[in-house]
Amino acid sequence: MNHVPRKRRRSARNRRDFFVFLALALPNLALIAVFTYLPLINNVYYSTLNWTLGSASATVVGLQNYVTFFTSPDATKVLGTTAVFTLATVGGSMVLGLLVALALNTGARGTTFARSAVFAPYVLSGVGVGLVWLFIFDPGYGVLSWLLRGLGQQSPQWINDPQLSLAMVIIVYVWKNLGYCAVVFLAGLQSLPTDVLEAAALDGATPFRRFVSVSLPLLSPTTFFLLITTMLSSLQAFDLIRIMTPLGTGTSTLIYESYLQAFGAFNRAGYSAAISVVLFAILLVITVVQLRFVERKVHYS
Amino acid sequence: MALNLDRRLFLSLAGAGVGAAALTACGGPATGSDTAATPAADVDFAGVTPAASFDFWSTHPGKSQDVEKSLIEKFQAKHPDIKVNLVTAGANYEEIAQKFQTAQAANSGLPALVVLSDVWWFRYYLNESIIPLDSLITKLDVQLGDFRTSLVDDYKYDGKQWALPYGRSTPLFYYNKDHFAAAGLPDRAPATWQEFAGWAPKLKAATGAQYAFMHPALAGYAGWTLQNNLWGQGGAWSNEWTMTCDSPESVAALQAAQDSVYKDAWAGVSSKESADDFSAGLASATLSSTGSLIGVLKSAPFPVGVGFLPGGPKATTEVCPTGGAGLGIPSGVTKEEQLAAAMFLQFITEPENTAAFSAATGYMPTRKSADMSAVLATTPQIKTAMDQLAVTRVQDHARVFIPGADQEMAKAAAKILTQEADVQATMTELKATLEGIYEMDVKPRLKA
Repeated sequence: MNHVPRKRRRSARNRRDFFVFLALALPNLALIAVFTYLPLINNVYYSTLNWTLGSASATVVGLQNYVTFFTSPDATKVLGTTAVFTLATVGGSMVLGLLVALALNTGARGTTFARSAVFAPYVLSGVGVGLVWLFIFDPGYGVLSWLLRGLGQQSPQWINDPQLSLAMVIIVYVWKNLGYCAVVFLAGLQSLPTDVLEAAALDGATPFRRFVSVSLPLLSPTTFFLLITTMLSSLQAFDLIRIMTPLGTGTSTLIYESYLQAFGAFNRAGYSAAISVVLFAILLVITVVQLRFVERKVHYS
Repeated sequence: MALNLDRRLFLSLAGAGVGAAALTACGGPATGSDTAATPAADVDFAGVTPAASFDFWSTHPGKSQDVEKSLIEKFQAKHPDIKVNLVTAGANYEEIAQKFQTAQAANSGLPALVVLSDVWWFRYYLNESIIPLDSLITKLDVQLGDFRTSLVDDYKYDGKQWALPYGRSTPLFYYNKDHFAAAGLPDRAPATWQEFAGWAPKLKAATGAQYAFMHPALAGYAGWTLQNNLWGQGGAWSNEWTMTCDSPESVAALQAAQDSVYKDAWAGVSSKESADDFSAGLASATLSSTGSLIGVLKSAPFPVGVGFLPGGPKATTEVCPTGGAGLGIPSGVTKEEQLAAAMFLQFITEPENTAAFSAATGYMPTRKSADMSAVLATTPQIKTAMDQLAVTRVQDHARVFIPGADQEMAKAAAKILTQEADVQATMTELKATLEGIYEMDVKPRLKA
């Protein structure tokens, strides 16, 4: 008989917990629903329209926008650019970030200052960073061209040449973001269990061997976390590309192409929405793959 | 794990949503079966009184913010019941177009008067975002006949007038008089590009400047100024709606441009603004807009000469395009605002006001009867720009009527002038691209 009241008490507490949960979560959920999921659903709908931005009417064309995208040379070019940009920026900022973190972890004089200095670009506005680097890269009167002329070299056409534009944006993106990777890696390095490392040292492992066989595997949760976050932000990189190469010459990644198609010269809103959906699908696949396969290989201790 | 998955999925969904949100923020279109532009009915302004205030969106072409403000003050003194709100709606023609198209999609916050460039107004016409001005021109008695014909005719289509000229320009040949003197060259612009090719080695030898000539920055200029090179060789981007950018003449013209950079190595390609490169002494000569004239004269520490654009082997005159911006009246605002905007449009294009605007910027006076004597006394170089107006040629359809063509041309030019790509192959590819855009975005929307 006392079974029922206890159950009722528990369900009452559950209900109260549930209401507290709702009260805390609902405002947030509502915001995410309105500003993320609703646009997402609308966007999928727009991707089935032939709609010129600025025009009040549109026609439903089904999957035509997707067919157009995947059968045009745009698809290979845009997906290729996205792949190069993502691999280069994620790889670049993670590898360089790890090297910087290792240097900072030695605790040599000046590392506190160096840590702040390396992290600073990450918190700067992308617009400002882009503008300043554009001056640096300017083949006419940039600092870089001045240095190159000093070495008897002509400056390459960083801004006009599509391939060099992509290289330029990647360099600046890595410069801006490696501080983030460095600081996160540094935190990971500093929380490594010292006993394991000491044991390895006693066994006669060289510093390099200790790093490869002990530190690196133990850092894998950090590496995994950085891989996901940098890849997601890299696939969404916008400000630097917009400022440094407004026409997207050589730098038209999926997100920038989507922007250019709708808000650039063409005003193809439906087509742009279709590209956004492709980007969304890619992000979804990457995330699921990372969770299913990569996370299993991660050593948490 | 389940919670993890949710959280991360949530994160990535949120990420993907960013791109979508930009579009969705605009509100959706109505779906119907017909996207062709319906014949625009002339708006009837009988019995309409002007609004008490309206927004005027400008890019302040040619650093004209101050002169725009003073003209607005003059207008408000004359019409105390109408307030003009000058809004900086972008740093260049592309930015203002983007903002305007977005406001159009949101159907809110639209201005009653907007700066529109040569490559954008036709799209506004296709989208029915602007109204024909004919009934306002009649009602307000705007002296259309006193406008410079070639400038006002640029905005005629389908028998109607869609905008009036404002910050109108042509390219101009700028040269460093000191450099020309040092190289023993005559104090004038070359008659043809072939003549300049003969001068270039002397300029490089005598001056130590990096380049004898700086090609204008590709992003903002290539589609526009390369028409000069094309026309001189007997080529063109297009003949009406037929793309001719891959014709032997067109290819020869662009080959000559490529040779100036690579084979003969006397020309550079500007990255941002060739007028600035020229003022900084990087090159002995360049092409830039007349809208850069006042700026160059102020900043260059050497005497600046200006001249007509050089011709080519096939044509030595009528090788200069016009360009720049006009003013249009959006369709999505009230009649009262449209009328008030039209009154201001009439005022700002009056002879003495267009002369004042011209004096401040270097843009063309748009009226035949504009008294330019005071302006020419201080800046005689504007005379060259005005004289050149008599020998301009209407721009190719491909550049001004095909959405995004200007930028595709800039990309093709980048391949030719900065990657030494094969000219014929690049132009064949450009032709296919332009025809693709025409089929997709223009042809279905043109009236038969």
